[in-house]
Amino acid sequence: MKRTLGIGLAVVLLVGVVTAIVLGQGGDTAQLQTVRGVIGSEKLAFFADQRVKDVFAKHGLEVEVDPAGSRQIATTADLDSYDFAFPSSAPAAEKIQRDRKAARTYAPFSSPMVIATFDPIVDLLTKAGVVKSGPGYPTFDVQAYLGLVAQGTRWDQLPGNTSYPARKNLLVTTTDPRDSNSAAMYLAITSFVANGGVVTSADGEARVLPAVSRLFLDQGYTQSSTEGPFEDYLSAGMGKTPLVLAYEAQFVDRVVRGDSSIRPDMKLLYPAPTVLSKHTLVPLRAAGDRVGELLTSDAELGRLAATFGFRTADPRHFDDVVKDLAVPRTIVDVVEPPAHETLERMLEAIAKQY
Amino acid sequence: MIRRLLPAAAALALLAGCSDSPDPATPVGDPTPGTLRVLAGSELADLQPILEEAAEATGVTVKFSFTGTIEGADKVASGEAEKGFDAVWFSSNRYLELVPEAQKRLGTPTKVMSSPVVLGLPAEKVKELGWDTKRVGWAEIAAAAGAQKFTYGMTDPSASNSGFSALVGVAAALSGEGSALDAARINAVAPQLKQFFSAQKLSAGSSGWLTEAFQRRARGEDPGAEVDGLINYESVLLSSPQPLTLVYPSDGVVTADYPLTLLTSATSDAREAHQKLSDHLKSQDVQRKIMETTHRRPATPQVQLDAKFAVRDLVELPFPGSQSAVDGLITTYFDQLRRPSRTLYVLDTSGSMQGDRIDGLRQALTGLTGADESLAGRFSRFHGREQVTLLPFSSSAKPALKYEVPQDDPRPVLDQIRTTATNLDASGGTAIYSSLRGGYDVLRQQIDADPDRFTSIVLMTDGENTGSEDVLDFQLFHQALPQDLRGIPIFPVLFGESATAEMEQVAKMSGGKVFDARSRSLSAAFKEIRGYQ
Repeated sequence: MKRTLGIGLAVVLLVGVVTAIVLGQGGDTAQLQTVRGVIGSEKLAFFADQRVKDVFAKHGLEVEVDPAGSRQIATTADLDSYDFAFPSSAPAAEKIQRDRKAARTYAPFSSPMVIATFDPIVDLLTKAGVVKSGPGYPTFDVQAYLGLVAQGTRWDQLPGNTSYPARKNLLVTTTDPRDSNSAAMYLAITSFVANGGVVTSADGEARVLPAVSRLFLDQGYTQSSTEGPFEDYLSAGMGKTPLVLAYEAQFVDRVVRGDSSIRPDMKLLYPAPTVLSKHTLVPLRAAGDRVGELLTSDAELGRLAATFGFRTADPRHFDDVVKDLAVPRTIVDVVEPPAHETLERMLEAIAKQY
Repeated sequence: MIRRLLPAAAALALLAGCSDSPDPATPVGDPTPGTLRVLAGSELADLQPILEEAAEATGVTVKFSFTGTIEGADKVASGEAEKGFDAVWFSSNRYLELVPEAQKRLGTPTKVMSSPVVLGLPAEKVKELGWDTKRVGWAEIAAAAGAQKFTYGMTDPSASNSGFSALVGVAAALSGEGSALDAARINAVAPQLKQFFSAQKLSAGSSGWLTEAFQRRARGEDPGAEVDGLINYESVLLSSPQPLTLVYPSDGVVTADYPLTLLTSATSDAREAHQKLSDHLKSQDVQRKIMETTHRRPATPQVQLDAKFAVRDLVELPFPGSQSAVDGLITTYFDQLRRPSRTLYVLDTSGSMQGDRIDGLRQALTGLTGADESLAGRFSRFHGREQVTLLPFSSSAKPALKYEVPQDDPRPVLDQIRTTATNLDASGGTAIYSSLRGGYDVLRQQIDADPDRFTSIVLMTDGENTGSEDVLDFQLFHQALPQDLRGIPIFPVLFGESATAEMEQVAKMSGGKVFDARSRSLSAAFKEIRGYQ
């Protein structure tokens, strides 16, 4: 997720695989084919999981991955030594596919962007017209939110606010747009709303930039990895991060783990509209294609991915995992992110204003 | 604090294998499996017992080398840190992440614990101010400070994170717009900030020394004027032997979150060590222990907050988003906002200073005129409005050279100081105490004309006193001084063959502190002293 997390320095998740094969599965190491991939760091825990490694071993594969920021994978990383690239967003994958002339891509799992918050904030923002009951799940009205931000609204200026009278601007906490995929996804959402549709032209970019820039700039310092603000949300709570942008998978993963880090007053809101962070695998060589195919078709891998909070190509896996949770099966108001180049240009224009 | 620091320092020496003079590039040795070499903020010293248990549990030993936040940022940005360290551990990564050259060298962070920077005052003072029955914001605190209803001590924002956080916090809160600071917003609230800082009567380069000085003054062991309260970490205030009531500003605080951060250059061994140690430190039992023994808040959400943390949900104030905004704020603090300084340098230019030593002294002074272009160096230069007096001496005191650095165009005066410094020459004897005594004549005049300043004396000498007045004579002279002069801290610098015991005595009688330049450059010592002026 951090652009600066050098690929060359990245962890090689090899030891575990070898050990497991030697100890367990009865497989023959000599028959395992090593496949190397560069992946968005949100999927690191998935690929590091022993059960996942075991499934790949059953199919004769040993998958080695290096984590990197999705934007970095698309722009600066040297992909020659990899069999596949697996960024966390469709625009990044689209660029890699074009650059490397890949025949196809796989989108085995996805996760919508969400806003994690707390009960008192839900109440406040419901009164302010930002949180709505939505189609079976609570939504965060991005248009109404942009309206409040445009007026520079502070929390303590919300009428009847006694539960969170903070003298700071009402802003969703995000990561640094210069570093992080989730911030780019947030820009995809907010630019869509500010523009009244996907931004596709230079005019559109110029029109939305003032409104979307301040969503980032007014926060001041932001962290570079999506884990940072989400951990603050969990540990420092409402005072520090009343509203935090996250991947749905981060929240669901915590709930599934059952480690009681998600307390009863913590609530998930779905931006309306939202975008999906589509984890899209671009095969660079035949072996990488095999990994894409397995991730898409193997039921066990699908089931495992769902336990990490990802929505899977076969929705049953995810539905099974969340069946007792307050997580919607289907998200209705989903829009497409802009093209990679458009998104990059807008991110750079924002970066220049820091 | 002293009690806590000493065993930690001893443990460090022990862990480091007691090498006599560590290589400055690798002060904690070469990479070793099972060892994490960490460049850290000095306040982490109190974690030593926790880390010793961690070493037993995980097999990962931490070796610390301590530095200030901005100096640390310098070292990470220049690449110097990665030559000798695997990880950095400061109270916050915020400043580091704003420096692009440093940011790109930072890898995975693990936030281990947290502590907000708040105001601690005696209970009766809080009551007197009427703050015991309601929560107040920074604007009310600043107004009360401006009306001199209370006084406080705070660390130097360029040397220590607690002062830095307080400065950012109060500026962000007062700016009122609730969004992150930029230069225009800082200027708009400058008058209020000035009011707030007018009540700051004590400065220090480290949180630890600040707390000690505060306590010594409260007990009357130190001639400096008593200070009502402290701005410091909640954890430090909660462990104060004199109970303080903590004032949590209602509009928000800036919180230290202590991220143990791997450098991207770390080897896979170090990477593994970092992971093991992080997992251990974030486990619930260890988190509970950190909370109980160090009074910091846990970072693991499952651990219940202890009742001693009076306010649980703290609003976090926005932090500036660019290095230029932060640097601008610090510069404005020094040149415009805080009470200006008056610094007297009593400088040994005797014959024994000839050669490298006088060169070192010239460089040290020149560095403070803006020649030192490192991040830390920029903030430690003589500040706008500062009165600087150089008093060279040998067999007797030479004429005092007085300067006042203008707020708006400091360059010409800084250049004059630089010229004077470069022309210092060494010859003659070492009449330390008569010269030091003479310094008080200069200060008396200056104080009579303009009393409201941070006033201090730096005493630099490289050898034994050869003058007719000795330390006992000086002590008698010092005891008889009126309070405003007696309370001026003296910061002796140990150099060459300095008489250590005498220098300690001089520091103690004046409520000052000894700085050692025997194992490092005079420039480094002079720079460190800036935090106390």
